[in-house]
Amino acid sequence: MVLGNSKYAADMIPEDALRLKVLRSSMPHAIIKKVHVPKRTRRIKAFVTAKGIPGINVSSCIIPDRPLLAKDKVRCMADILGVAAAEDIDAATDFIDSIEVQYEALPILTNPFESMKNDTVKIHEDGNVARYLKLRKGDVERGFQQADVVVSETYSTQFQEAAFLEPEAGFAVPASHGSVTIVGSMQNPFYVRSAVARILGVHEDKVRVIQAFTGGAFGAKSDEVAMDIAGLTALVALRTRRPAALVYSREESMILHSKRHPFTMKHKTGVTKAGKLTAAEIELVADTGAYASNGPLVLLRALFHATGPYVVPNVKTDAYCVYTNNTTAGSLRGFGGPQAHFAAECQMDILAEKLGLDPIDFRLKNILRPGTATATGQILDSSVGLEECIAKVRDASEWNRKRSVWKEDCGRMRRGIGIALLYHGNSIGPEGVDRSSASITIDRRGHVTLRIGLAEYGTGARSGLAQIAAEILGVALSQITLEIPDTLTSPDSGGTFASRTVVMGGNAMKKAATVLRDKLRQAAAEFLQCDPSMVEIREGIARCYGGSPREIAFRDLVKSCLRKGITLSETAEFTAAGVSFDENTSQGTPYLQYTFGAVVAEVEVDTFLGTVTPLKLTTAYDVGKAVNPLSLEGQVEGGAAQALGYALMEELVQKDGIVVNPSMGDYYVPTSLDVPEIESFMVERPGALGPYGAKSMGEPPIDAPAPALINAIAHAVGVRIKSLPATAEKIISALEQAKS
Amino acid sequence: MSRHVVVLRVNGRRHRLGVESHERLLDSLRDRLGYTSAKEGCGTGDCGACAVLVNGKVVNSCLMLAVQAHNSKIETLEGLGTANSLHPIQKAFIRNSAFQCGFCASGIMLTAKDLLQRNTNPSRDEIREAISGVICRCTGYVKIVDAIEEAAAEMRGETVG
Repeated sequence: MVLGNSKYAADMIPEDALRLKVLRSSMPHAIIKKVHVPKRTRRIKAFVTAKGIPGINVSSCIIPDRPLLAKDKVRCMADILGVAAAEDIDAATDFIDSIEVQYEALPILTNPFESMKNDTVKIHEDGNVARYLKLRKGDVERGFQQADVVVSETYSTQFQEAAFLEPEAGFAVPASHGSVTIVGSMQNPFYVRSAVARILGVHEDKVRVIQAFTGGAFGAKSDEVAMDIAGLTALVALRTRRPAALVYSREESMILHSKRHPFTMKHKTGVTKAGKLTAAEIELVADTGAYASNGPLVLLRALFHATGPYVVPNVKTDAYCVYTNNTTAGSLRGFGGPQAHFAAECQMDILAEKLGLDPIDFRLKNILRPGTATATGQILDSSVGLEECIAKVRDASEWNRKRSVWKEDCGRMRRGIGIALLYHGNSIGPEGVDRSSASITIDRRGHVTLRIGLAEYGTGARSGLAQIAAEILGVALSQITLEIPDTLTSPDSGGTFASRTVVMGGNAMKKAATVLRDKLRQAAAEFLQCDPSMVEIREGIARCYGGSPREIAFRDLVKSCLRKGITLSETAEFTAAGVSFDENTSQGTPYLQYTFGAVVAEVEVDTFLGTVTPLKLTTAYDVGKAVNPLSLEGQVEGGAAQALGYALMEELVQKDGIVVNPSMGDYYVPTSLDVPEIESFMVERPGALGPYGAKSMGEPPIDAPAPALINAIAHAVGVRIKSLPATAEKIISALEQAKS
Repeated sequence: MSRHVVVLRVNGRRHRLGVESHERLLDSLRDRLGYTSAKEGCGTGDCGACAVLVNGKVVNSCLMLAVQAHNSKIETLEGLGTANSLHPIQKAFIRNSAFQCGFCASGIMLTAKDLLQRNTNPSRDEIREAISGVICRCTGYVKIVDAIEEAAAEMRGETVG
């Protein structure tokens, strides 16, 4: 990576590959009447439309509601009508630009509340609500009667764009007998393989998918876009018998892949004057755009986490995932967590203020602790490090002093300090069967090769897998090769999402490594003349613990095994224990372990300009067990930066279904000047699921910093921003309103 | 569109190529000469992934035409160091686990080189200012700044790590 040798998909495009360009819809909602395709010049080798799909014209996630190529109707401006393949990208682009499409406009729905109520304008046949979920715990009516204070507020969040630095890219190479090999920027090679096989109408054995070095993904490359690119390039490659490459421009990337769901969240919360929460009534409405994508699962996670990490005896939550003609919303780091926590943590601060309590003291009266029940009625085990996290950040940020001293700020610049807590159910929980497989092979040189279908795209999680194998086998990391995910040779380990790589992949790797270690110990015991249980393999040498001084080098031990016909190759599968919950009440155990955390944000607000300068973030996370601390810190810092952008400056604006700012110049991603000092602490309360008790840390770091910043702004200037992002305009407007 | 002959001296090697008038330096480096370390992140000069050093100065190569770079000395990441002889900047980035997906690596490291050529002892704020033209979506910049600070120290002759 530091040598510049890492090859991403666009770096590996074969010389003779055709270059593809997609034809996008120019209407947010319309019937396609006619597509005028001009005569093709010799440089144009193919133009593929829906009619040219031999298999099933679907490229979608949970609900098969989205075609790969639009046929009769377009539902958003990210719909693709066709793909042109030419000898060079300019020829392909010119050809696409020359195509005229006649549409019959349909009414546009861009507000999910209007869309929910509208029975005449149907974006999809079955209506505009893609999913409805509900959670019922206890009796909220009784709960509100027990409350002394009731606070009702509405919060809203925006479309956030993944804005990974590498725009999507992929290419397909036709092989013999109708087979095809696809190389691309993606998160889930096995999902892509299944999708492409269905699109081509062939058996999965005919499709080989290799994950190239991927320059950031954050969930968007987990959804339809990776399947689109693989499907389109495969179609062209098989039709033309030439390699076919598709690289999205930044503009295409920002329009075509899925975004974070905007949520509108209504909270009504009851609390006693002693500060105990009694009831929460919540409504979540998510705008999923034209297609459901992973919306139903985002909604599910938001449903479970909507109250925040607190004991609330009575909860009533209704959640809706609604279609509109905006471009699709789907997976993005946090997956409903950032939205849910923004509302929950702002609500807690408002309640604290009404009660005259310090925000941390109020939270401490209500936080989840071992033995307490979540909003789903799940009784938590001992692995709840939330209180310790709070203590660490309170101390390190000098919370008490700054809370009182900074209230004295009265000039133009005002400082503020705020907190937010989080919890994050690990891995996919109720979303499906959670299973992972890993393979380990040791060759005669003593070199260890690991194979797993989980992808690397910057999380560093795969290095954690290598560490686990190295630790168990007793060899140096330099003796280990972790092969890139290739559906031909890697075992299917499920998707690389839900922060499950170390938690699930790590367990599979641990299992495989343990079996191999035991085989090696058995073989070494013979040579060392001791019991296998006394054999220790460390730093490449096998010795008898507390026994004979004999030792044997790892490499020699391996050679001896192989000579005796003992194969040193193991594939192990790990399946998480089943989770269960009642679909009507959402009561039960949706996740086997939770990551907990606390984030304190310090800001300075310019009351003349409304601008916010973050001064510091102090974070503490219960990571279960830190397998790779430096890598975890990287996730904490990167997640914080993305949350900072979410809080203060990022918004992918869609107006009347048109994406207004699909460029890095107009969509503001935090630069090095925007991210402050970040101090991070780790607490370890080993969880029930992960290897050595390790917990998910890919996504949790993005859940809390946004509300922490909003709460800090409220402390600084006394105004509460209830819709993200908290731009200067909103702050000035709120300040002016407060004055009058 | 017309074709022109340009001479580009990349990482000490002299290349003579025929380019289209509208060809960007980024395309010449990547597609004609095989220096794929420079990346296309946006094509509009907003992200810095394509940054290279042209006559010692950081330039977004997606905004420079190949013909404009005629007779220029160009440095890409491939020329910064080798596996056997890493540049202090490269060593510092490895030690600090300062990259995650790696797509901004080229832009960041070359910008760091440019900074450290001009300022051998930059403050953290000066480092942040210098790299503000390169977007990193993964790291939050914290370890990147740590790494550049460390590289500066090593280049000043102080012991690090």
